[in-house]
Amino acid sequence: MSVDAQSQSVLAPGPWSKRFAAAVVILYAGLAVLPLLWIFLTGFKTPPDSIAYPPKFVFEPSLEGYVNLFTTRSRQSDDYLAGLPPPTNWVDRLVRSRNMVIAGPSKFGQRFVNSVIIGFGSTALAVVLGTLAAYGFSRFRVPLADDLLFFILSTRMMPPIAVAIPIYLMYRSLGLTDSHLGMILLYTAVNVSLAVWLLKGFIDEIPREYEEAAMIDGYTRFQAFWRVVLPQAATGIAATAIFCLIFAWNEYAFAVLLTSGEAQTTPPFIPFIIGEGGQDWPAVAAGTTLFLVPIVVFTVLLRRHLLRGITFGAVRK
Amino acid sequence: MTRFGQVFRRGPWEGAATLVIAAGVIMLMQPFSLAFYGWSFATTLAGTVLFLVASHFPDVPSGGGGDRG
Amino acid sequence: MTETSSLPFLSVGTAAEAPSQFAGRLRGLSDRAMAWLFIAPTILLLLAINVFPLLWTIELSFTNYRANRPNAPLRWVGFDNYASILSDSDVWYAMQATAHFVVWTITLQVLLGFGLALLINRRFRGHGFWTTVILLPMMLSPAVVGNFWTFLFQPQTGLFNTAIAFVTGSDPSSFQMIGDVGLAPWSIILVDTWMWTPYVMLICLAGLRSIPDDIYEAAEIDRASAWRRFWSITLPMVLPFLMLAVLFRGIENFKMFDMVNLLTSGGPGSTTEVASITLKREAFEKWRTGYSSAFAIILFVTVFGLANIYVKALNKVKQR
Repeated sequence: MSVDAQSQSVLAPGPWSKRFAAAVVILYAGLAVLPLLWIFLTGFKTPPDSIAYPPKFVFEPSLEGYVNLFTTRSRQSDDYLAGLPPPTNWVDRLVRSRNMVIAGPSKFGQRFVNSVIIGFGSTALAVVLGTLAAYGFSRFRVPLADDLLFFILSTRMMPPIAVAIPIYLMYRSLGLTDSHLGMILLYTAVNVSLAVWLLKGFIDEIPREYEEAAMIDGYTRFQAFWRVVLPQAATGIAATAIFCLIFAWNEYAFAVLLTSGEAQTTPPFIPFIIGEGGQDWPAVAAGTTLFLVPIVVFTVLLRRHLLRGITFGAVRK
Repeated sequence: MTRFGQVFRRGPWEGAATLVIAAGVIMLMQPFSLAFYGWSFATTLAGTVLFLVASHFPDVPSGGGGDRG
Repeated sequence: MTETSSLPFLSVGTAAEAPSQFAGRLRGLSDRAMAWLFIAPTILLLLAINVFPLLWTIELSFTNYRANRPNAPLRWVGFDNYASILSDSDVWYAMQATAHFVVWTITLQVLLGFGLALLINRRFRGHGFWTTVILLPMMLSPAVVGNFWTFLFQPQTGLFNTAIAFVTGSDPSSFQMIGDVGLAPWSIILVDTWMWTPYVMLICLAGLRSIPDDIYEAAEIDRASAWRRFWSITLPMVLPFLMLAVLFRGIENFKMFDMVNLLTSGGPGSTTEVASITLKREAFEKWRTGYSSAFAIILFVTVFGLANIYVKALNKVKQR
């Protein structure tokens, strides 16, 4: 045993040590991912199945949750239903089987579109502003650069509710309450700090000799930035954009306090998907699933840059 | 000037400010004394101002190991 | 580790040594004008969306303004709002609820996160895949997921209650995670730990990977025990990274709003009413704008102070 212990250094853990580590980590990962699997499964249950006791692990899949998510329905009497022409498609048939008819589309689609507009709008703006500022900080001698960078970062740390109080008043007097533009500007302001810090790290890594050479060849500073630095920083810009998008996509506090209808995004909407007698859990789960899938995809795409993103560019491996 | 540089070095002052801020935060959230809670904001504010000032002190490379580890 | 040269924001090192002779070669514009051209848009946006509102909040915090009665006469009340918040035992309890939440989430996340990082660092086959799986909860919307946890916490039919009942042999409807005064604070701690353990884990993992192999090799020659290696090499080397994670999670949980608002919205009673929930109630339900502005400034200054320390920790890590 002691011989064995000596031969397996800390640098190269022995096979049993690895197996133990794998078992514990996989157990944790399984437990951690279980709530997410449950969200996914609940989306394909019928409302009675979703609140069955004991919880159903095996059930007949149904698209009722997704249908309920995208429609509003009204309950009708048997006589009324009997008088209707036969259902033309599976959605109608499903809804009729619950003694209901479709009254119209739900607001989910519109809220989802709002999330997309505000998410992409604020991301684009934050990345443009952030790239410019990061380049400025990286390549020029900026007076009080340290203080400015700290100021920029500190704006991201502020409690959203504390910020929301004056923003609410300001937007009310500017007419920006519950507008796409207002939310885009607000999310841009929050995201630009992350963008500046992250992109500064990426741009710092691009050797300045490239631009020097380009400028000796007659490029202006801006041409050098545009044609030399930007292409080099493309990966970093993409990673930064995804981080900004995820923030805007997930944001709740500002959205719930500053929007109510027109510009409301998905997160404040999902908890209010109500069925008969309380929350319609399959519909909530369906909405949650549709809302989370893009983020899961992005997380997998981002995994090499995650560490950088969550430490504002300080840890780079 | 050298004297100024020796007394107002960034390392120790930043460390002191960090401690004051930490004390303010603990005072704000501790469950023991309402009086401490009452003075927490003033403490945090003082610490933060001290930190902002201290971070502009010169960072003299001294052999005395002044910088906090 | 000599840190005598620790500039406050080390990243600026490259700019400080900037060979401005070539930057200045640009036709027409001076170096400084060029720099401002790049930086000004960002600063202007932040001035409009952050600084101006902040100054306005400071002004409001000295008044009795109510946003739902904009035409009521405005009275200057000096430091009264601050004085009443800082002597209000309800707000003090909210800060204690916040402290309970912050201390326990950080403790659990550090223990679990560091533990998982140590295990993943053994690089078993497939560790990359499982790391990504573990990271998932961290990227999701706390509001949307927090809302779904109310479903998992349903007594009797919820998955969580069922799982606990299965393990302990009790009745799944014998306890309510959200409705019970004793358990509700733990329900938010549990969900936060589930979401953010990966964050601490990822940063610890970076810390572990930053330790040069030869230090361990030296310890190997010294025949230091695994226990000693951990306390004298691993922990001290990972500590700056751990501090970074702790500070950031501390700041984030100090101002935690979305997940708690949807999971318990402060209830039952005010057992889980953390600072941000109290602030929301004062500002957007009772509409005591002046009072809540003062409270906002108190939270603001606290976060700002902690952010100073955080950036100091960031730069410490950056040097590695």
